[in-house]
Amino acid sequence: MSPLDDLKTAIKSRLGELDCVIGWEQGYDQLHATPLFIRSEADLDRLVIGPLAVHNLATYLPGLRGKKVGIIVKGCDSRSVIQLLNENLITRDDLVVFGLCCSGVVSHRKIRAALPVDPGFVEAVDLSTDTLSITASGQTTILHMADIAADKCQICQYPNALIADVLVGSPQESKVLTTLACQEEFEAKSEAEKFAFWQETMSRCIRCYACRNACPMCVCRDFCISTSRDPLWLGQENTPGENMMFQLIHVSHLTGRCTECGECERACPVDIPLLLLRRYMNKQVQDVFEHRAGTALEQTPPLLTFKVEEEGIKERGW
Amino acid sequence: MRIGVFICHCGSNIAGTVDCPKVAAKALTYPDVVFSTDTMYACSEPGQDGIIAAVKEQQLDGVVVASCTPRMHEQTFRRAVERAGLNRYMFEMANIREHVSWIGKIMEDNTIKAQELVRMAVEKLRRNRPLIPKRFETVKRVLVIGGGVAGIQAALDCADGGQEVVLIEREQSIGGKMAKLDKTFPTVDCSSCVLGPKMVDIAQHPKITLYACAEVESVGGYVGNFHITIRRKATYVDWNVCNGCGLCLEKCPSHKHPDPFNENLCTAPSINIPFPQAIPKKAAINPQSCLKLTQGKCGICATVCPLKCIDYEQKDELVDVDVGAVIVATGYDLFDWHKYPQYGQGRYPDIITSMQYERLLSASGPTGGQIKRPSDGKEPKNIVFIQCVGSRDRSVDRPYCSGFCCMYTAKQAILTKDHLPDSQSFVFYMDIRSPGKLYDEFTRRAMEEYGAHYVRGRVSMIYPQDDKLLVRGADTLAGTQVEVQADLVVLAVGAEAAAGAAQLGEKLRVCPDQYGFFVESHPKLKPVETNTAGVYLAGACQGPKDIPASVSQGSAAAAKVLGLLSKKELESDPAVARVNQPRCVGCGKCIQTCPFGAIKEVADRFGNPKAEVIDTVCQGCGICTVTCPQGAIQLEHFTDNQILAEVQALCPPKIFANYE
Ligand SMILES: Cc1cc2nc3c(=O)[nH]c(=O)nc-3n(C[C@H](O)[C@H](O)[C@H](O)COP(=O)(O)OP(=O)(O)OC[C@H]3O[C@@H](n4cnc5c(N)ncnc54)[C@H](O)[C@@H]3O)c2cc1C
Ligand code: SF4
Ligand code: SF4
Ligand code: SF4
Ligand code: SF4
Repeated sequence: MSPLDDLKTAIKSRLGELDCVIGWEQGYDQLHATPLFIRSEADLDRLVIGPLAVHNLATYLPGLRGKKVGIIVKGCDSRSVIQLLNENLITRDDLVVFGLCCSGVVSHRKIRAALPVDPGFVEAVDLSTDTLSITASGQTTILHMADIAADKCQICQYPNALIADVLVGSPQESKVLTTLACQEEFEAKSEAEKFAFWQETMSRCIRCYACRNACPMCVCRDFCISTSRDPLWLGQENTPGENMMFQLIHVSHLTGRCTECGECERACPVDIPLLLLRRYMNKQVQDVFEHRAGTALEQTPPLLTFKVEEEGIKERGW
Repeated sequence: MRIGVFICHCGSNIAGTVDCPKVAAKALTYPDVVFSTDTMYACSEPGQDGIIAAVKEQQLDGVVVASCTPRMHEQTFRRAVERAGLNRYMFEMANIREHVSWIGKIMEDNTIKAQELVRMAVEKLRRNRPLIPKRFETVKRVLVIGGGVAGIQAALDCADGGQEVVLIEREQSIGGKMAKLDKTFPTVDCSSCVLGPKMVDIAQHPKITLYACAEVESVGGYVGNFHITIRRKATYVDWNVCNGCGLCLEKCPSHKHPDPFNENLCTAPSINIPFPQAIPKKAAINPQSCLKLTQGKCGICATVCPLKCIDYEQKDELVDVDVGAVIVATGYDLFDWHKYPQYGQGRYPDIITSMQYERLLSASGPTGGQIKRPSDGKEPKNIVFIQCVGSRDRSVDRPYCSGFCCMYTAKQAILTKDHLPDSQSFVFYMDIRSPGKLYDEFTRRAMEEYGAHYVRGRVSMIYPQDDKLLVRGADTLAGTQVEVQADLVVLAVGAEAAAGAAQLGEKLRVCPDQYGFFVESHPKLKPVETNTAGVYLAGACQGPKDIPASVSQGSAAAAKVLGLLSKKELESDPAVARVNQPRCVGCGKCIQTCPFGAIKEVADRFGNPKAEVIDTVCQGCGICTVTCPQGAIQLEHFTDNQILAEVQALCPPKIFANYE
């Protein structure tokens, strides 16, 4: 049986006790998947998994608190689930986790860039282990998986779900690579270059808040401080400064909580490389507090504790 | 809103480098400011009267005073605006002295900075609202932690002042370090003769309850209403019955473990009373060495005890007490000199600490007051004292001066000559620090009358030669190397924070400084208060101190407590955190971070979890407000909007950037 069949069997056996199970189905064309809420066995037929099932479905969980929910997670998504559990934002007893062993997902941004013309509606897609062939406007292009894999998958350390009531598929190895070229290149920039870079990049932001809404850890929703009048942290004018301030608030609220799922960057309609900030911040947290969000149950993000003295911070440096 | 601004000259303190009339004139252009003036001394009586008159004549709803630090006069001005009929929180202070005139010399720049600070204060005040403190009753009981001389003094003074006192001491007897000393400087009177009667007073005072072998387990509550749980450690002896006869001590077959009271110079039985004057004078079993407790055999003490008070099954006991105030008097510990390689790191038995030397000098010590060196029991002839071992030395993280070592070394040199008239003392020192009544005369006496040979310089190494120790060091005054053949070397080890102080501090929410000593509220003006209301400091736990200073601070802390508890009711500071419940998502992050346990989870009427602040416990530290991602918890008087308004006043946003 294929992992998909295993998964369907597993879901079928638990569906009765659950209000719904969240997975993926094909979206408006064969290239794009979309979240699927499985409420009956009939819905199960539409379930898909694989490299096109990109969404981190954990984002839905805090909003479904109080309901009995099943969720399908990739390795990276499972970290978000763990982090939400650690922060008491969801309840373990109300949750059934169907874990996948993931060999990576695609980056639609990279696909778009690799195709000769904007695909618009895709007519056919053919997936093999290392290639993806796309037919659009009668023209077929064959892309190599390695070229279009999401950045996070190239350095993935947790391909297999870290929390799972049912784990399907055969376990995958974590990647050897731990840093990305784009990140190193960004961090090597001088302060002035970084400033100019953000000045330019943030002038594109349209403040749609898609990045925030896609983030599984952004749970404030209607009470997000960036849209509140009291306290009034952020003006609504669309300047690079205010836009950057919004990102800095996002990043600082995610300190020690961000699981690097990359949903924010994926959701951004104007391709702002938001993960440059997140990865940098996560590295600081890792260096100072030896903490990596969502990798273990029962750990507390360092900024959510009070300690008179932190081991990793030398406060007596006279 | 109608705001009045007062720019203080502070004589020439501010006006010397700030153009005060100009700052006042500029303030009139700020929003809502309807009155502005400069004044010679805002805090003086005419100054305050001027403020009150202006509030009334101009119908002001808020006042800004630009003057010194709020630590100095915020209370003064709050009371003044209150007398004028305003709420005391409708007042803001801009510090243009410490932050401006005292640190900058250029009049023009200073004036601009002062204007900006006033502008910030005005913007903040525009968002202030009246706050009303709550009132609550206090528990008339005091907890004193630590039974050294400072704690003893504090306990006696509080009890004499009519308050009930609970004194807890970690060791088996009160007395602290002073109980181990032979004589004390500068009078060279017998330590136990002056301390002993005070210890007895503790035992006999009807208002004092003493728990020895006890520590603070947990602390809850707040000023006026602390809930303390005390852990009374098992002593395996029923102290209600034991009369301290000491028969058990004599018969105990396991008497070979080091005696901590005698600084491990001799051994002690496994059931022991540390010293004859101990208070309480009760026996206790050392569970590490007792044969019955470690191996299940023996039980001799139980058979010899005429009162049958031995109980091998005894367990730790938890006692709860409610108190209105706490005095911390946990003292200090001694620096571990083994960190220095040059003193042999314990290889040579005739290198001892100053405290061990006190025990050798003491008539109740292991040698009955005869100075005998540990290696062979011979009387030493040449004795070398080395000062500043673990003091004033950055390389071992002890850059501070321990304060009393110069003095006790001089004392020990004097006593040495008294005990052994043929002996010769050498003292290696860095500087002699002897400020204090009769102190410098005392050190001079050691040199001039008692012939102690003082060498200014550090010792670089000590190594054995025959049955002596060769001490090699520098004489920086003569610019030469010196070598002394010593029979005994005494290290004047410095003071460091008491073991466990950090943990205790965390329970009491009292901060340690960078060396681990507890931090007072203000180094000059509030030396016995801490930043936690209702918790006071006494003695060496706040920093190295000799006996006179420790005793004074014990009395000072007692005076503070008596003042506090003489009030029937206390007012709580209304500048506390408050939860905007609709915004709160009940994530509990604030509950996790609040260092004071001031936030609890409640349910709203739909059963959703929400945070709620306990007003009287909240200390207004603001940690929760920076933790809450959605700004649902705000500190009254320091809301995000108030702080942001100050920031915006300083760096006004360039609102046109987008439309250029
Ligand atoms: C060798 C030497 C000689 C000295 N000679 C002199 C002298 O001649 N004259 C002079 O003025 N000063 C002298 N001093 C200084 C003197 O020892 C101190 O000034 C004095 O002991 C300070 O008293 P204290 O009560 O603050 O602290 P301590 O004497 O240290 O007492 C603190 C007490 O608190 C207890 N305690 C600690 N932690 C806890 C806890 N967590 N819970 C409960 N109890 C706790 C301890 O067991 C101790 O009993 C000398 C010091 C040394 C080292
Ligand atoms: S900030 Fe971005 S990468 Fe981090 S958890 Fe949120 S969506 Fe994922
Ligand atoms: S998704 Fe992109 S455009 Fe939208 S708010 Fe976030 S960064 Fe700005
Ligand atoms: S951190 Fe904020 S949202 Fe969370 S419980 Fe506290 S007040 Fe509510
Ligand atoms: S301000 Fe907040 S964190 Fe600080 S004591 Fe009050 S409730 Fe606790």
